[in-house]
Amino acid sequence: MRLLKKTITSYFIFSAILLLVAIPIFYYAVKKMMIKSVDENLMATKTRILPQLNNAAINHTEQSLHLSDYEILFVKEEPNNKGDSIDDIEISGVNANASVPGRLLSSHFVINQESYSLQIKTSMLDKFLLLKRIVLVSVILLVVLLLGLLLINRALTRKIWQPFYRTLNRLHEYRVDKQPSLILEQSSVSEFNDLNKAIQELTERNYQAYASQKEFTENASHEMQSPLAVFQSKLELLMQTKPLNEEQAVLIADLANASKRMSRLNKSLILLTKIENNQFLEKESLSVKDMLQKLLQQYEFQIKQQSIQCTLKIETGIVVEANRTLIEILLGNLLSNAIRHNLPGGSIEIALYEKELVVQNSGKPSSLEKQKLFQRFQKESRDESSIGLGLEIVKKICDLNHYSIHYSFNNQMHIFALHF
Amino acid sequence: MKILIIEDEKELSKSIVAYLKAEAYSCEVAGDFKTAMEKTESFEYDCILLDISLPDGNGLQVLKELKANHKTDGVIIISAHDSMDDRIAGLNLGADDYLPKPFHLPELSARIAAVIRRRRFDGSAIFTLNEFRFDTVAKTVAVHNKPVDLTRTEYDLLLYLVTNKNKVVSKNAIAERISGEEAEIFNNFDFIYAHIKNLKKKLAAAGSEDYIKAIYGMGYKFEI
Repeated sequence: MRLLKKTITSYFIFSAILLLVAIPIFYYAVKKMMIKSVDENLMATKTRILPQLNNAAINHTEQSLHLSDYEILFVKEEPNNKGDSIDDIEISGVNANASVPGRLLSSHFVINQESYSLQIKTSMLDKFLLLKRIVLVSVILLVVLLLGLLLINRALTRKIWQPFYRTLNRLHEYRVDKQPSLILEQSSVSEFNDLNKAIQELTERNYQAYASQKEFTENASHEMQSPLAVFQSKLELLMQTKPLNEEQAVLIADLANASKRMSRLNKSLILLTKIENNQFLEKESLSVKDMLQKLLQQYEFQIKQQSIQCTLKIETGIVVEANRTLIEILLGNLLSNAIRHNLPGGSIEIALYEKELVVQNSGKPSSLEKQKLFQRFQKESRDESSIGLGLEIVKKICDLNHYSIHYSFNNQMHIFALHF
Repeated sequence: MKILIIEDEKELSKSIVAYLKAEAYSCEVAGDFKTAMEKTESFEYDCILLDISLPDGNGLQVLKELKANHKTDGVIIISAHDSMDDRIAGLNLGADDYLPKPFHLPELSARIAAVIRRRRFDGSAIFTLNEFRFDTVAKTVAVHNKPVDLTRTEYDLLLYLVTNKNKVVSKNAIAERISGEEAEIFNNFDFIYAHIKNLKKKLAAAGSEDYIKAIYGMGYKFEI
């Protein structure tokens, strides 16, 4: 969850709870207060009209009692010991089916040894309307207040965290192989400045480590070229010496093969460093189809020799904009792997779609380790001609060109899918 | 024929000298930039082997000077930095060839021979050896004046062995010569055997002697 959303959510939940709890409480509190005041009024009215009631009882003019705002009913009754009581009632209004809420005060008197009952009704309609309005206005105020606070908070947070997000974006874009260190701008918040400083130092250290590692590989492989060249030349001179018996010749041939492997390894390492240094700048439009066909032609002998059934299915001949050498190496490595790690009499299926190249081959009856597959020196076969850099080179070339490559094992076939 | 080897790695230049000595080449060695400049200014060579990275200067500078003085020495750049840029820079400056280190001595010898041939015969590059007559432009070979129908690979292979005559040429060197990078990918020399077999068969049918000898498991030799 995003930082901003998280804080806002907390605020929002709090506001919602507050509104949900506060509004009913407020409603009932105000309602209670209103009823109380109405009841007090009723009692006061009763006290106020007591002398009138006495007169009415004496003069037997109970029917003619009138009060503004109140409905009054003063009648004789059977003697009882009931006291005063105030209750909720429904008063049927002008309209017969509509009734309005009201309060009724029932009181009992004894005047001249005769029992009287007094009922004073009052309508609560106005009061309740007022209550509704008060609650409504309060709710609106509260909602507006909370929304306003939320918005202000949001805007403020956004502004305060802006340097953080900027740093984050820069970090996302940062590639140790592309730029030495990350220079981040100053912020008015000291914590962010600390963060930026820490990141800057981290990237600097990172770059230094990366650079020295790269330099080492570069130097090591370049420095190796000369002794390798000397070694190879001496071997070839040794081949010319006479007399030379078979035992020596076999040893020399083995040495020559080892020397060849060393120089291949070295070449591959140099190639990797060059790819990492982005030294293949020239790009041209390349037909993947043509290149595949050319490579297959080159590998024809090997394919035939292992009696491999090779099928090439081309749906569309796609054209990519890339460096020729690199794409040749990329396709060459994929195809030669499919040949090298195949079984005698196995099969290779190459399919070229609009945006994808799929190379499938039979081989080892179990899946390769996906995690390690594209890493340096992860050799799957004990084959001497494998040096363990092929797939790393493939991966590096893919990364450079923003292609993706995936491996899967299905139906006894090792599948490499290259997405252009 | 005079060859100048400009190379700071002493052992390598010693190897080259030792290998080329047997051919009719006389070799001189310059171990640094200064000596290289002195020698190229004072003498003329049929072919100069030029290492780009010298301890006291850039080999390409030697090449620039040569061209500025309108010298016609053939130049083969031998470089540890096998990069397209170096290759293009070298060839643009007028080098005849470019050979990345580490290289096979037979390959170097073949390249030198090709450079010298190109400069010497100026196009009509025909040379003979016993019953063979090579046309290096048309890329054909005739035995007893009768053309032999060789594939391109067989022709290359024969010429390669002939330029390195009386020397063992390793299978690695042959593989690299006839199939380039592919030879490095598969550690399989069976195709060399197949090509050699076909070549020998065709030459025998044309009435040539059997000069091509297999030297144990190591390589082949054109013995004359």
